[in-house]
Amino acid sequence: MTSRLRFVLIAGSISFLLTGCGDAFNAGTISYKDSEQFTKKQKDTPDLDGKPQLQEAVRKALADLFGPRPQEIKVPAGSGFPEGGRYLANYEKVGDGVQDIVYTEANSGKKVAVVGGYGLYRKYCLHCHGVQGAGDGPTAEFLYPLPRDYRRGVFKFTSTAPSNPKPTRADLKKTITHGLHGTSMPAFEALMSGSEIEQVIDYVIFLSMRGEVERNLISIAALVDKDDINGITADDIKESLDTVVNNWKATETLVVSPKARRTEPTRESVLRGRDIFLGKKFGTGQPVACTDCHGLHAKGDGSSFVERNIFDKVVFRRKSLDTAIEERYKELGDEHKSAQWQPGGHGGGHDSASSELPETFDAYKNRETTNWDKGSKDDWGNPLRAANLNLGVYKGGRRPIDLYWRIAKGINGAKMPAHGNLLPDDQIWDVVNFILALPYEPDLLKDAEQIKKSVTAAPAVTQR
Amino acid sequence: MRYWSLLFALAAIISVGIFAYAPISPEWWLPAGPNVSAGHLHSVSSAGKQIDSLFVIILLITGIVFIGTQVALVYATYFFVDKGPNGRKASYFHGSQRLEVIWTIIPAAILVFIALYQMGTWASVKFRSAAPKVQPLAQVTARQFQWVIRYPGEDGKLETKDDLFMVNDLHFVKGKQALIYLKSSDVLHSFFLPALRIKQDAVPGLTIPVWFDTDQAGHYELVCAELCGWGHYKMRGNVTVHETQEEFDQWLQSALKEQSRDQVAAVVTGSQGR
Ligand code: HEC
Ligand code: HEC
Ligand SMILES: [Cu+2]
Repeated sequence: MTSRLRFVLIAGSISFLLTGCGDAFNAGTISYKDSEQFTKKQKDTPDLDGKPQLQEAVRKALADLFGPRPQEIKVPAGSGFPEGGRYLANYEKVGDGVQDIVYTEANSGKKVAVVGGYGLYRKYCLHCHGVQGAGDGPTAEFLYPLPRDYRRGVFKFTSTAPSNPKPTRADLKKTITHGLHGTSMPAFEALMSGSEIEQVIDYVIFLSMRGEVERNLISIAALVDKDDINGITADDIKESLDTVVNNWKATETLVVSPKARRTEPTRESVLRGRDIFLGKKFGTGQPVACTDCHGLHAKGDGSSFVERNIFDKVVFRRKSLDTAIEERYKELGDEHKSAQWQPGGHGGGHDSASSELPETFDAYKNRETTNWDKGSKDDWGNPLRAANLNLGVYKGGRRPIDLYWRIAKGINGAKMPAHGNLLPDDQIWDVVNFILALPYEPDLLKDAEQIKKSVTAAPAVTQR
Repeated sequence: MRYWSLLFALAAIISVGIFAYAPISPEWWLPAGPNVSAGHLHSVSSAGKQIDSLFVIILLITGIVFIGTQVALVYATYFFVDKGPNGRKASYFHGSQRLEVIWTIIPAAILVFIALYQMGTWASVKFRSAAPKVQPLAQVTARQFQWVIRYPGEDGKLETKDDLFMVNDLHFVKGKQALIYLKSSDVLHSFFLPALRIKQDAVPGLTIPVWFDTDQAGHYELVCAELCGWGHYKMRGNVTVHETQEEFDQWLQSALKEQSRDQVAAVVTGSQGR
């Protein structure tokens, strides 16, 4: 190496080190990845497998509406975002060029440089939620639960109803400022200012809209013949966009407000809440099935879900479902056998037949496989388990109003159903009071088996 | 080539210059309280004042030793430089018991002095027996990657139903000893309040009392000082020191009220940022 060349290399790398990260928010090119539906055959959703022309048409429509790259943002007219994607990115298109956006604070008149939703998202969220908001950032593979895929437009923790409604800005703001406890979704209150959080909310909504329009367009295109020269029409595109935009706009009117104030958390209220949880019917309420999912002791081990042990083996130890079921069956058999040699063990140790488990392997495997496929997946197809309510950790927040919303209108996309139509408000508050008391009084569910029996038997007796 | 020694002298002089300049520049010195003009040389907590004085003493000792050795070095290289064919030949000898004893005893004595001298400070900052007998301010549980903070509610007791839950938001009162119980729910973390010079590892399975105070109200920073995973750098908290107990109580009340909200929030116009 000549000394001049060496000098150039050294000077070059020093100046790279000094300047390399200057405009880190927007440095480097990144691009949107196609959703899986473009080129791969899908089981339950439409796809464009083998239709390259239609794939191209959808890509073009998306680029026209939302911009071709994350750094080149367009916002569709009427989407509710300020014209030209202001605040989504930190650059604004002026004539043929771009210029930095400056935001003038309303009360102080101070000028602040706007990083923009995209810049903030790239800095704080992208490594989990991914470039197009598919929940597939580089960190995602180490996490359970997985980061949200925004592209379905479904959000778990909303204050709105009915089914799978959009969150309000306030809901998103709560998620981002306080995080989702018990998951890796962090609280950003200490890291971002109020106006930055508003900008990043804009960007989350932007990505969610883009993803939903993508899905809609694919559904339409999937019905079109692969050689149809018209492909998808301008009307199709407009319609796909409008439904999405209108849903987002309607959300503020869909907020569910409890009709009654919270019942005082007295002993009676807590016990009533427990009995409702265990399936008892009071007054105008209908019996509910919390225990099917959450388990009699609210440990999150109800029978609608795959056994906790199998879940852990598959999700945390990355075993295949079949291996996990086999291992578990063997473990159960061993437990069963050793129980027989204990005094009072239920096998009694009489005849050799009783050393077998009451259930055959095939029956066991069938049941657990069904539970896994049907029960233990959320709408995104990711593993799901019911919450353990003894821990006092609530993803969607611990305020009574949060728990009211969870019980009255469920958790979107995550199996937990809405109970607002089954229970009157005062009974929902009883359940809320019970849930808030349980972590401090685990004895509330000590005799859950007996209580459940008496509680659910009662109405049957009166009906006879 | 005796002038090489001047280059060594220059390096030493610059270092000493930096030494001398650092204490009068807020940027170069240890982190100060929120109100820098109130004398940034002093930390704003009582533990911090003791720790800083130890720091200054050690800085002085090392400074004096540094200057002494550098003077000796430059002197030797300047005056005993190779004087060419007419100069005296250097003689080689192996080992000198007297020299070795001297340069072992002096540093050892300095170390023993520092070890004894700092004991009182260490005891008052770390010994459990020195923990202030006050009602705990909060339980702080570190997890990847945030500080989950739990304040006792009205009953003054932790782990009861009326506790207040916060994330990354630590509040206490100026001029009062604040006592927290530090835990970790996953890996090692370290609770670090740079301006107050308080640093304590959070160890899974242990509950460690940590106490601190400050004489300046305002906003401080809480950071994690133990590499705890990929999100370590984000593990920051806001610290708010209230001027008076009333102010703190007011904050606690309003936070508790929010935590027991059972109605939809009054319509807030989310106009920020637009
Ligand atoms: C460490 C990874 C991580 C980071 C960083 C992260 N999130 Fe999340 N986020 C998650 C996980 C995990 C969930 C889903 C939890 C669940 O489903 O229970 C989630 C869920 C969400 C949701 C959905 C809430 C709902 O009601 O369904 C939103 C919105 C969200 N995150 C926004 C953000 C924003 C904005 C940022 C950046 C400022 C961000 N996240 C950064 C991991 C992360
Ligand atoms: C069909 C199954 C199912 C039923 C029935 C059900 N839940 Fe759930 N519940 C879930 C699942 C799954 C989750 C966890 C969702 C997640 O983590 O995303 C959950 C979570 C919760 C949470 C935690 C919310 C949070 O913010 O973390 C509460 C509280 C709760 N359920 C209460 C109830 C009550 C009370 C009932 C009965 C009235 C009930 N659930 C009925 C499946 C169910
Ligand atoms: Cu940490």
